This record gives sequence, structure tokens and C-alpha cells, in this order.
Amino acid sequence: MNYQLNWSVLWSGQTGGWLLQGLLTTLQISLLAWLIAFALGIFSGAMRTAPLAPLRWLASAYVEFFRNVPLLVWMFFWYFGVPPLLPQVVQDWLFDHGAEFWAGVFALGVYHGARFSEVIRAGIQAIPKTQLEAALSTGLTVTQAYRLIIMPIALRLIIPPATNETVNLIKNSSVALTIGVAELTFQTRQIETYTAKAFEALLAGTLIYLIVCLTVATIMARLERRLAIPGMIAPGHEL
Amino acid sequence: MKRSLIVGLIALVTSISGYASAETTLEKIDKSGTLIIGTRTGSPPFGYVNKNNEWVGFSIDLVEKAIVPALSKKLNKPIKLDKKESAPQTRIPLLTSNTVDLIAETMTDTQARRDQVDFSLTFFVTGAQFLVKKGTPIKGIESIAGKRVAAQQGSTNARIIRERVPSAKLVEFPDQPAAFQALAQGQVQAYTNDGIQLAGLKAKAPKPDGWAVVGEFYSYEPYGMALRKNESDFRQVVNVGLMDAISSGLYFEIYDKWFGAKGELPYALTAEAKRFLQMQVVPK
Repeated sequence: MNYQLNWSVLWSGQTGGWLLQGLLTTLQISLLAWLIAFALGIFSGAMRTAPLAPLRWLASAYVEFFRNVPLLVWMFFWYFGVPPLLPQVVQDWLFDHGAEFWAGVFALGVYHGARFSEVIRAGIQAIPKTQLEAALSTGLTVTQAYRLIIMPIALRLIIPPATNETVNLIKNSSVALTIGVAELTFQTRQIETYTAKAFEALLAGTLIYLIVCLTVATIMARLERRLAIPGMIAPGHEL
Repeated sequence: MKRSLIVGLIALVTSISGYASAETTLEKIDKSGTLIIGTRTGSPPFGYVNKNNEWVGFSIDLVEKAIVPALSKKLNKPIKLDKKESAPQTRIPLLTSNTVDLIAETMTDTQARRDQVDFSLTFFVTGAQFLVKKGTPIKGIESIAGKRVAAQQGSTNARIIRERVPSAKLVEFPDQPAAFQALAQGQVQAYTNDGIQLAGLKAKAPKPDGWAVVGEFYSYEPYGMALRKNESDFRQVVNVGLMDAISSGLYFEIYDKWFGAKGELPYALTAEAKRFLQMQVVPK
């Protein structure tokens, strides 16, 4: 095998800072998208179980529409499909201020919002109906009941699937490279094309994703143990 | 049961490692009867999908009409051609992983790339320029400071812009269609690529007159076909195929078909380029 290993391309020379820049971009895009997804997911998940049919229909439309189309298509939609619909002034401003990045954030956020919505809906539906009835009978409105009683419990119940979705979101941020976002996967390919050290670049990228995702999963696991509701969850074996 | 499993595993591993030991490209083609090339699907007229949904192009024609016959003659059997899609960031890995045997697209022969792969003779000569909407103030590499410029990730053009005009805001896309779309919609103000590819995009655009290819060549881009290192026999066959095509006139027929006055993209062969091509043909 003629391949010469050269690990220094990862941290020195022209290509030295790229991995770090890519990681920062990935973290930024993932965090912003996660916030959007979480907010959309909570609203949509709640609306899916609301007593009002139009609200349920609206939320179902959102979920089915956005989760049944590949994320890659959504990336192109938000980057190429949305700007022409905006006024020219907004378009010009947007293109000068990181249109690629924001298109990526919205594509990722809205897509995962639909997926979070299903996860939260499952959590809400796991709560006995009697809770909502009791809340309503104490004089709370439906909105208040959801905000004060149902949601806090539901969110604590769905931490495992939410961890799954969060990790998925971080990994899916790599799709943004198709619209020119210089995130981690993009940078590993960039290092590879500039230095031909494919093995080092790809291994570094793999390890970084692993570390980030495992860290998130560990934090969520800790949260899960601390916030477990006694009596509502079957005790499993601790990891 | 456990013992036979271990024996089976050992046999599997040894057979795999036996297979992985050096088989030359010519042997591989001989065994499979197929030459697998990597080529483009969105770079007219070198490799693209035409109106009739056929995967055609100048580079593909060169392989089909000049190299495959040379291979068939050398190996004494008919050789088929199989095409796989390649792009700047995937073409070298495709080659080194044995997925394809030859990259026949729009790859510039450079000294740096020769560290990783070998190149055939130069089969086309062009240089890097910019594609812009007609009427924009961008006139060439001197006017792109601070502007948003699209390029293909992994291309030599992106690298040169990064080094020579660091203030230009480079947006790198995985493929040409996405970069062109960004130019068309205004996400970027110019798209840089080899002049001939830009001319191809312009000719195939819905309104060719709305586009302009501007700027002096800011780089010299000789296209060669890439193949794996340490494959002198295969490289010899490829080069002989190209040389025979040039000396017999077949190359110029194919050139005329794609770049002639009635071709897909008129791009006259300069006298200098023609002489260069002819001088690459060494005596028999």
C-alpha cells in the first residue's frame, strides 16, 4: 500500500483550522435548528392531541407534509425555492448575510420539528386521560392545562426518543453541505481534496461526530434519570 | 460447529486477502470484460444527460471510440464500457478504491494531483473564467474582491480563488447544477469554472444571451484522463488509443461533432492547441 499517513494536516498548515471551523458551524446550525424544531414540535404535538378538530388537522398537515419528504429536498427548497418568493431587498440582504446557513437552519428545524412533534404526541398520549379531565375540572382552560400539567409530564416521559431525534438532527446537519454550508462533513472532504489524506480526514470527522453525539446522549441520559417520574415508568436496567 | 465456523472464517479471510493482492488494471478489465469509467452527468458537453435521456459527451465519446478499441485490440477480446458518475470530490477516491478504472471527464492535470494519480495525455485545453449575468460589473478575477462567487467543491478553481483573492466570498457546492442555480437566482454573483464548461452551461441555458463568460484565463487547465498509479501497461494502452485517434484524425472528427460549428457547443480549436495535441503523438 502506497498510502503515507500524515496526521498533521488535521491541525497545521493551510488545512489546520478547517476541522474546528467545520465543527463550530455544525454545532451552530444544529443548536439553532434544534431550538426551532423543539418549539415547533411542542406546539404541533400539543395541537395534534387538542380537543379542537381544526387544530388537529392543521398539525397533522404540518407533520405529514414535512416528514414525508427527504431532508435533502427540503434543503434545496429553503435555499432555492424560498428566496425568489421574498421581496428583492430582503433577498439581497439575505444573500449577503449567510443565506446558505439560514436555509440550512430552517430546513433542518422545520423537518425535525415534524419528527419531534410525533415524539411529543406519543408522550402526551401516554399520560392518562384522567389528568387532563382533573385539570379541566379545577377550572383551568385547555391551554393552561396543557402548559402547566400535561406538557411538563410529557416532556419528562419522552427523553429517550427525544435524545434519538436530537442526535439525528446533529447528524442530518451534514446534508447542508449540498447547499454550500461549510460544516464538518464539508470540511473533511475539503481537507481530503486539498491534501489527499482521505483516511485521516474522514477518521477525524467520524470521531468528532461520535464524540459530539455521545456527549449529547450521555447528558440526556443523566437528565432522564434525574427527571424520571416515579410510578409512571417501568424500571429498566441502568446502563 | 464452532470449529467449522473458525475454519470457514480463516478460509474466507485468506481468500479475501489473496484476492486483494496486486491485480493490475489490465488484468481486471480482461477478467470482467468491462472498462468502468467515471464521468460527469451535469457538465455539457463533456459528460451530461441529453434531451433524449442519453448519457453522452465528448469525454465519453473519446473513451468509446478511441480507448475501448485500443483495449480490445490489446486484450484480444471485445471490451464493454460501463459509466459511473463522478464529481471533483469523489473522483480520486472512486479511482483509488477500484470502483472505476479511468476518470474521463473534465479533470485538470496538475502536479499536485500527480502525487495521487497518473494522467493520460492531455485531451483538451482550456482555462478558468467566470460566468455572470450579462451586464454585471464583474469583468474577471480583478473585479471579484468581496463578491460572492460560486465554485465546485474540490476544484482547482476554488483553490486558486481562495489563494489569490481571499476577500472573495467563496460558496462551494457539491455539483455544477446547484452552483448554476445559485447564480441564476442571485445567491451568488459569479460562478467560476473552466471556460469551456461555462460556455457549455451558457449554451444549454434557457436564455443563452442572458449570460456572459468573462475574464482572461486565470489558470491553465489541461484536461487529462486520470488512472491509478503504477499501471504503466494500462496507461500505455490509453495513451496509444489517444495518439492513434489524433494521428488518424478521429480525434478531430469527435472534436468537430461536439465543438464544431454545428456541434453542441461551438468552441473552435486554436491552431496552437491543435499543434500541441499533434505534438503529443510520439513516433511509433
